[in-house]
Amino acid sequence: MNPSPEGRPEETDMELINRWRAGDGRAATRLVGRHSQALARFAASAGERDGIEELVQDTFVRAFASLDSFRGASTLRTWLFTIERRLMLDRRRAERRSRETVPVEESDHVSEYGALDGLIAEEAQERVRKSLDALSPTQREVFTLRVQQGLSYKEIAEVVGSTEGAARVHYHNAIKTVKEFLKDE
Amino acid sequence: MNKCIDSDIQEMLPDLLHRALSDGERQRVEAHLATCESCKEDLEVLRTVKSAAVFAPAIDVNSVVRQIPPYRKIVPATERPARTRVASWLVAASLAVVVLGGGSILLQSNGSLVSRSRGQQPALTIAKVPEATKPSPLEPVPSPRIVQPTIAPHPHALALAAEADGLSDGGLVPLMNDMDGFDALPASEPDPVISVDSGDSL
Repeated sequence: MNPSPEGRPEETDMELINRWRAGDGRAATRLVGRHSQALARFAASAGERDGIEELVQDTFVRAFASLDSFRGASTLRTWLFTIERRLMLDRRRAERRSRETVPVEESDHVSEYGALDGLIAEEAQERVRKSLDALSPTQREVFTLRVQQGLSYKEIAEVVGSTEGAARVHYHNAIKTVKEFLKDE
Repeated sequence: MNKCIDSDIQEMLPDLLHRALSDGERQRVEAHLATCESCKEDLEVLRTVKSAAVFAPAIDVNSVVRQIPPYRKIVPATERPARTRVASWLVAASLAVVVLGGGSILLQSNGSLVSRSRGQQPALTIAKVPEATKPSPLEPVPSPRIVQPTIAPHPHALALAAEADGLSDGGLVPLMNDMDGFDALPASEPDPVISVDSGDSL
């Protein structure tokens, strides 16, 4: 258990969950503060462009509403990633359906990337983003969960609904592609 | 540059970045990195990717927390397990078999006792055609085979539905006794001579 900034030992996620169940609202604040940025990074790395805050918010609302089903078999963060990933897939499906009915203008697409460019300050970040864009959606998820979030293959398999072996293969293919892309740039 | 074939080391590189290796594993990986250019390059790529993961927007924790509903314990529905339900159905089915079977045996034994005590003829005699139901001389004469006891109407049976409503308990007992002796199904398949009834169309 790591010490908190106040010198007290850091409470585990499970302890905070139990405190929240007992009616302590501050425990929820601690849990959200602990995991929200990781969720935002995962969403951004997975290719989400807009509404990342809303996505993170929805993830927590859904997670807290079904916290009784969290048994602690995985870490809370892995469980949150799983929920967030499902929400992202739902969003993409909804976007695909809306694109089928309302075609997106090319100018909209450009302005979307223009907004993103504002967020990406450094050239290295832009290069990395482009290299990740070259990956398949699953490769991208596996790679970012492994490299940026430090999840094990077992945890990644749980998040993406796959096997450890498949996660390993996706990772190796992804690093090969990213390496080649960054070399060529 | 030769590609490294030590997949164990390659897979541990992200863990090295996240300081998730034990001391022994870290020393092994670092020793390998000192001699392997390919893995060094991989590690540099991973460092770049990891450090680039900062463009996600900052999340306002308080606004997220405000949206979280208060805790409500989910009470599981008090549905009985499937095994209990199956057992209940089996018990109910067994009871039904016992009640129906026992009841019909009781009724049968009562009927035969009453018949014998009254000195009535056995059940088959009930199927005899009474005089009133015999065809008139104007009607086509049926062949003797039609007048088989198994297909002839019972004298009580025709009036049974009409009379049953008006009977008291005492009146119902002999009627039911008669019914017990009544053969609802023929002992054998009827012969196709019933076609004689088609005399209606004449």
